[in-house]
Amino acid sequence: MNSTSDSAAPAASEHAVRTENLWKIYPQDPRPVEAVRGVDLAVAPGEFVVMAGPSGSGKTTVLNLLGGLTRPSRGKVWVEGREISALPDRTLAQVRLSRIGFVFQSYNLLPVLTALENAEFTLLLQGVPAAKRRRRVRRLFDRIGLEGIEDRRPPKLSGGQQQRVAVARAVLGEPALVLADEPTANLDSATADALLDVMEQLNRDNGTTFVFSTHDPRVMERASRLIRLVDGRVAEEIVSGGAG
Amino acid sequence: MIRFPTLAWLALRNLRREMRRSALTAAAMTVGLALLILSRTLADGAHEDWIDSGVRLASGHVSFNAPGYRDSESLDDRLTAGQVEVALAAAAATVPTSSDRPAITTVRVATRGLASSADGALPALIVGVDPASELAFSELGAEPADGRYLQEGDRLQAFIGAGMAARLGLRTGSRMVLTAQVASGEIAGQLVRVAGTYRTGLDELDEALVHIPLPVARNWLGVEGATSVSVVLPHSTLTDPVLAETRATLEGSGIEVVGWPETARELYSAVRIDDAGDWVFHLILFAIVTLAILNAVFISVLHRRRELGLLRALGLSGAETGLVVFVEGVLLTVASGFVGVALGFAVVWVFFRNGLDLTDMMPADITFGGIVFNPVMHPAIELKHLVQSVALTTVIGLSASLYPAWHAARLDPAESVKVE
Repeated sequence: MNSTSDSAAPAASEHAVRTENLWKIYPQDPRPVEAVRGVDLAVAPGEFVVMAGPSGSGKTTVLNLLGGLTRPSRGKVWVEGREISALPDRTLAQVRLSRIGFVFQSYNLLPVLTALENAEFTLLLQGVPAAKRRRRVRRLFDRIGLEGIEDRRPPKLSGGQQQRVAVARAVLGEPALVLADEPTANLDSATADALLDVMEQLNRDNGTTFVFSTHDPRVMERASRLIRLVDGRVAEEIVSGGAG
Repeated sequence: MIRFPTLAWLALRNLRREMRRSALTAAAMTVGLALLILSRTLADGAHEDWIDSGVRLASGHVSFNAPGYRDSESLDDRLTAGQVEVALAAAAATVPTSSDRPAITTVRVATRGLASSADGALPALIVGVDPASELAFSELGAEPADGRYLQEGDRLQAFIGAGMAARLGLRTGSRMVLTAQVASGEIAGQLVRVAGTYRTGLDELDEALVHIPLPVARNWLGVEGATSVSVVLPHSTLTDPVLAETRATLEGSGIEVVGWPETARELYSAVRIDDAGDWVFHLILFAIVTLAILNAVFISVLHRRRELGLLRALGLSGAETGLVVFVEGVLLTVASGFVGVALGFAVVWVFFRNGLDLTDMMPADITFGGIVFNPVMHPAIELKHLVQSVALTTVIGLSASLYPAWHAARLDPAESVKVE
């Protein structure tokens, strides 16, 4: 593989992320488990896509495949037109760093870092100078209501604050897409709504692409497109008038 | 690697977060290293003590002889008077001086013979010595069991072991006869009077070794030179360099230069065996320490699976994630190394003055390898062994971090971030 193909630089593409006949099969006794079965997806830049479905429908696995956290058993994944399914570990890590943001359900932050350090961690790894990092973090913190908590460690933050810091970290690196796995699952209604407001705002103002996995109706209501997964397959796609 | 400073910074933060765990893990290495330093310095001190005692009763650290003397122990294989002067000059030129422990050189004429009295006879090793230099060399006469040691001007005095005195019914002032084959080949006797007795605790020495004045020995045995010129060095580690230098100086002179490992083989073997035993003990100790550290670091990795998975999701490669864990181990090892050396020296310092007194735990007069054990062990710092101890701890600290780092590098990020 040459240096050009190893590079994590973004390429012009009509899709933020796309999959083709995506399968994930876990070897297990007595039979292998087919968690994802031939999923074809295409998410355009700036979309606010929600994948919904019952537990075990393969939502999280699809999200992990889109983010290069796990490799498909069959099929391919493209991020901004670049196929990532077969990239070496180091290059794939670089793609995650520069083109993909993650928000998980809980325990999203590194406990040894302050809120500000957590938020700027991706920028730090990208080699952005300290002054520029701090400026961008503070500006975003002000926008999403996190001012004044910069020096607090995660245990001193509420669940909602922690998730907003995680969202800040995910978007600060200006990724092609942000993958959010059940981000509201551990939040009360008001906090979940506030978090979704922030994500909607970032989607609207910055054009950040979001792909969610959830079974939270509040998240589904805001989707520009809702994809229902059942038994590892896309059962239904509904385009609505939500964000994006 | 451009991101290494960031990874090191993160590793340092991780260590600081779990201060108690980090401190306990470091304590295993710190205490292990401190104990290793104490144990090595005590062993080095004890070995130096054994060697010093042993070579003083034998042929010194370095001995100049005529070729063949070590095998024959015959007066025929002796140094001439001229060779004695050459050997003394070579020793003076090459032996390092130390203000607190000066080197001591002595000239001896030794032969095997019989010591007899009215009560019987015993085989004896009869050594003609210069009283002044011999007193400092062998220290046999430093604390006589009875009477006094030989003095300058003594003519027919002998200094014998308490064992010989008891077996031959002698005491200070008694007369005895020494009989040996002299240089001409004839058997000749020498009447001497007991000036005093010594007690080393070594029966084979106390019943056999007799010191008489060097002029008396030369006159009786009909020799002008000596059977050996022996040197006690300030420290046994100087033996090899002195040997190398004097051998080069005396090449072609007909003088053989030998070191204590050859002249005191039993003692040399004893030191080597004890040294090997110490290292086996240390390796067992450090295998246990390694497992303790490995266990602590590995458990911390298992506890942080989700965190490590998050790092992967945020853009660290597997190798970089493993490197964070490895750097944690490196930082712990370095910190433990410094504290361990400091603690080790502090403990060693406690024993520097009075030594570690094992008198109550050891029966009196334990002998081994031709020396009597000194129950008071004094530590001695040998740079080589100190460096070996620190290197061993470093290797152990780093190798104990390798497996957890490898495990962290191979964590499946998708599985890891699921861990609750």
